[in-house]
Amino acid sequence: MGDFINFLGNNLADFWTYTGFANATVGHVVMILVGLVFIYLAVAKEFEPMLLIPIGFGILIGNIPFNMDAGLKVGIYEEGSVLNILYQGVTSGWYPPLIFLGIGAMTDFSALISNPKLMLIGAAAQFGIFGAYMIALAMGFDPMQAGAIGIIGGADGPTAIFLSSKLAPNLMGAIAVSAYSYMALVPVIQPPIMRLLTTKNERIIRMKPPRAVSHTEKVIFPIIGLLLTCFLVPSGLPLLGMLFFGNLLKESGVTRRLANTASGPLIDTITILLGLTVGASTQASEFLTFDSIKIFALGALSFVIATTSGVIFVKIFNLFLKKDNKINPLIGNAGVSAVPDSARISQVIGLEYDSTNYLLMHAMGPNVAGVIGSAVAAGILLGFLM
Amino acid sequence: MNKTKIGIFLSLLLLIGLTSCGEQKSNSKLVLNEILINNQSNFQDDYGLHSAWIEIFNKSFGSTDLAACLLKVSNQPGDTVTYFIPKGDILTSVKPRQHALFWADGEPNRGTFHTSFKLNPKTANWIGLFDSGKKLLDQIVVPAGTLGPNQSYARVSDGATEWEVKSGSGDKYVTPSTNNKTLDSNAKKEKFEEHDANGIGMAISAMSVVFCGLILLFIAFKIVGKAAVNLSKRNAMKSKGIDKHEAKELSQAPGEVYAAISMALHEMQDEVHDVEETVLTITRVKRSYSPWSSKIYTLRETPSRK
Repeated sequence: MGDFINFLGNNLADFWTYTGFANATVGHVVMILVGLVFIYLAVAKEFEPMLLIPIGFGILIGNIPFNMDAGLKVGIYEEGSVLNILYQGVTSGWYPPLIFLGIGAMTDFSALISNPKLMLIGAAAQFGIFGAYMIALAMGFDPMQAGAIGIIGGADGPTAIFLSSKLAPNLMGAIAVSAYSYMALVPVIQPPIMRLLTTKNERIIRMKPPRAVSHTEKVIFPIIGLLLTCFLVPSGLPLLGMLFFGNLLKESGVTRRLANTASGPLIDTITILLGLTVGASTQASEFLTFDSIKIFALGALSFVIATTSGVIFVKIFNLFLKKDNKINPLIGNAGVSAVPDSARISQVIGLEYDSTNYLLMHAMGPNVAGVIGSAVAAGILLGFLM
Repeated sequence: MNKTKIGIFLSLLLLIGLTSCGEQKSNSKLVLNEILINNQSNFQDDYGLHSAWIEIFNKSFGSTDLAACLLKVSNQPGDTVTYFIPKGDILTSVKPRQHALFWADGEPNRGTFHTSFKLNPKTANWIGLFDSGKKLLDQIVVPAGTLGPNQSYARVSDGATEWEVKSGSGDKYVTPSTNNKTLDSNAKKEKFEEHDANGIGMAISAMSVVFCGLILLFIAFKIVGKAAVNLSKRNAMKSKGIDKHEAKELSQAPGEVYAAISMALHEMQDEVHDVEETVLTITRVKRSYSPWSSKIYTLRETPSRK
């Protein structure tokens, strides 16, 4: 009887070593709190809930402590585990192009086609990427890591994941979480900068309504867009190819079912998997490092630089435009390609100063140009550094 | 006229396509990469013997199978020996940018990678690699007397066009089944660290490319836009049966003219009076509404809590 009780006691003691309670560290607790903050922001404040809920919950999943020496194959970094298999879409970089396919299939490029000069604002906002790149170099990161960190300033989660998986896989978790976090915080980061850099008169500039865009132009756009950008930067092909392909599915008008799948069930599925696995990749033992903190700081800076350069570029651009053709600098922030949040910010701030001045569709031009610009920038970094 | 232009454009495209086809280099994925003929104390085979060897390199970024390919050797004209690389061995699949090593020991029964021929150190050796359709993929002649014992004849780096003798000294070491030139550094990264430590060069060059790309798109869509507007105008004029001049006049008519015409039509159709009881005033109304001012675009939807 005594032996049996002893056996039970040993069993329970053995079981205890496998529990999360026995294996918890301060790092796990910190990361679980971060995950809870993400979920709170998503539910209570509605900051990008589609991203923050999967990422926040993924952080909880990834930070459940367990006995790492037991070979249970439950952790995201344990080869062959379910999470590890799902995470391969991130590490091998095939989730981001599928997300881009969906983005292409749901994006209307009409605003950009009707007023193509807005594309240049999308280009100007990419200064955020290279500003952050320079600061990252100064902070001691090597060029490849700096390139991967800089892309956070492109405000494009899939692009950031794609590039970091190629250039700095060990920093990918921090870069992805940082990119998505700041995209969610666009309503907090951008407005003060926009107000600071514009005068009251500039904020009430009314832009000409754009002309109607024909179906032919909409069909031509993805084809010419693909050919021009990818001939220039072939390394951007996975992202740009899928973006323009998705757009052609939408605009051709004859592949409605495919466009609906790409912009609906497909992008939703990939978003769930991407968000969850990126969140889970923040396992405390891998994620809680000084580098991660530096990456978060650099991410914030890159958004500030991108917004600033977009707004200032519009102000400079206006010097060369006729009086009746001026651009409202409040759409400069939309070059940061957080679609459509940064365009919404332009609209909201614009309405604060003139309740009949609707900037949303004007801002969508630089916004989608920003998507193209950041994918091109990612291709350039890949070409230069790989 | 338009058909002529389209014809010229298509002909040009065809011409460019044909020209570029003519300039294409050999696109063989498999190349002969390194050959050692006189093996005294170099690499040993799996039987512990020193034999001559031929290294094949897969220069593509996808796996390529050597099964059913042919290795041919000739020491003198008209005397060619062929080794058929056996099918059914998974090891014949060469991974991207990797190598396969064949022992030229005349012992094909020892395995897939042992050929039916030997290389002769005293004469010149022509070696050819053919695909399963007997199409020549690559060939090389190792001249007589070029190689001493344990020296190899190899491409300067994997897949490069130039060949050299690897004597085993200095950086010219013999490299069976591995890279002809060992990459022990990240050249691009080091170049950036050396010449662009603060990242300004990268920022300038990359931003130039980003702007170039989007400026190209801007120009393209400026042109496409203009063409589309002209086309739609032309179609509209055609459907209304008016010419350019009339269309211009119509577009220049002031709003008051349209108002007067509308009023006259209205009177004709509904209220025909000789004497009016009311005074008509016409005020131009500026419509601030556009489809974009719809409130659905203004803000994020209000959370619905139950």
